[in-house]
Amino acid sequence: MPRAIVLHRNDNVATLIDAGRAGETCSLQGESAAEVKLLQDVPFGHKVCIRETPAGADVLKYGQVIGKASRSLKAGEHAHTHNVESARGRGDQAKR
Amino acid sequence: MAKTFLGYPRENGTVGVRNWVAVVSVMDNCNPVTRAICAQVDGTIAVTTLFVRGQYGRDLEIAYNTLAGMGRNPNIAAVLLVGLEEQTTEEVARRIRPAGKPVEAVHLQPNGTINCVAEGTRRALRLVVRASNARRRSCATSELMLGVQCGGSDTTSGLTCNPVIGRLSDRVVEEGGTVIISETSEFFGAEHLFAARAASPAIAKAFTDMVVRLEREAMSQGMDIRGTNPTPDNMRGGLTTIEEKALGAMAKSGTSRLRGVLSYGEAPSSKGLHFLDAPAPAVENLTALAAAGCQLVFFGTGVGNPIGNMVSPTAKVSGNVNTLRTMADNIDFDASDILEKKASVGAVGDRLYDYAIEVASGTRTSSEILDVRETAISRFAPTI
Repeated sequence: MPRAIVLHRNDNVATLIDAGRAGETCSLQGESAAEVKLLQDVPFGHKVCIRETPAGADVLKYGQVIGKASRSLKAGEHAHTHNVESARGRGDQAKR
Repeated sequence: MAKTFLGYPRENGTVGVRNWVAVVSVMDNCNPVTRAICAQVDGTIAVTTLFVRGQYGRDLEIAYNTLAGMGRNPNIAAVLLVGLEEQTTEEVARRIRPAGKPVEAVHLQPNGTINCVAEGTRRALRLVVRASNARRRSCATSELMLGVQCGGSDTTSGLTCNPVIGRLSDRVVEEGGTVIISETSEFFGAEHLFAARAASPAIAKAFTDMVVRLEREAMSQGMDIRGTNPTPDNMRGGLTTIEEKALGAMAKSGTSRLRGVLSYGEAPSSKGLHFLDAPAPAVENLTALAAAGCQLVFFGTGVGNPIGNMVSPTAKVSGNVNTLRTMADNIDFDASDILEKKASVGAVGDRLYDYAIEVASGTRTSSEILDVRETAISRFAPTI
């Protein structure tokens, strides 16, 4: 069973420390002892969403904001650059 | 009892962890001579550079200060400058002389390459003989100045190697030593937490101003920095945003108070934790740490970045089990017990401290032995 670490009780993502396959149950460690069923393959070191997160909501890791959901995320979904946006260094969004 | 390591005490009270003669190019056109001298003379290190000629204003000051800072570094017993002409060489030489070590120079004008290499080789030979009279002695760990860096980061970096390096930082600061963290862009999203550790509001503001200025500069380019930082390999390793990377990177600084803030090319004037405003890429950042006087650098890596610095021995720490297997030759310290055996950061960090004392006392790092070392001084404006 792949393992994932939750770093803060408020976090809505966990970091996998094994490679996970779609359909596998992932055991959460650290600040949670729950389990989450992976909806997709999640590579080693990548993050899985552990709580429903609406589009535009903060994505939290270490209890801190690491970005915003660029679309809604389901628990078990791979959370990465395709669905989480940075809010920093965004010259592309700066008002001219 | 005061903690000690075996180092080389220098004239000016600093302590080296290595005892090299540095052959330093004053500008890029001198690099072939520098390399030829170092190929012939054991006990030397080649500090090459790009540009300098054609630089002006702030960039030229940074170049002189950084080259001289590497020359002043306590790991360097003596300096041989390789210049094109005497006036520029003197700008670097006069900045090194206050350190009290021998500073000699050879010039390409009017001697030409072959004569310059021959004269430089003779001088380097004599400097190495003289340097080799030094013996390691017991020195207080309060004399250590540690640089902390990360590169080739992934999500294991913020969970393993960086917090473990943070524990080492705390130990060095507790014992009266100095720690420098830098990589300004890698505070985007974590700066509020770091600023809260500043010893005074003025220090907090100086630090925050440096982060804000850099972000504004980057944003003025009209692009998303993602792809440059985090890099493609950071993202392959699971890091999604610069905020996530920064929160993991900051762990290298440990938990102590931020005592001072430095500009590129500057050295700390007090002990404790300092922030240095320097670009994040490894070669450029390591160069700034070496120029600030760090005798050694501990470098956390996730997906793996082997590069080290010429002047400051660079030790690689990783907690990624895959990288520890595929890039084992490049990694000096295994921090994987944190994820694999649930070992505490404190326990692994204390082991890293013991290893750092060995490195300071002469144990060589992989990047030194394999000579995977490079120098790059930041350049902010065009040459003319």
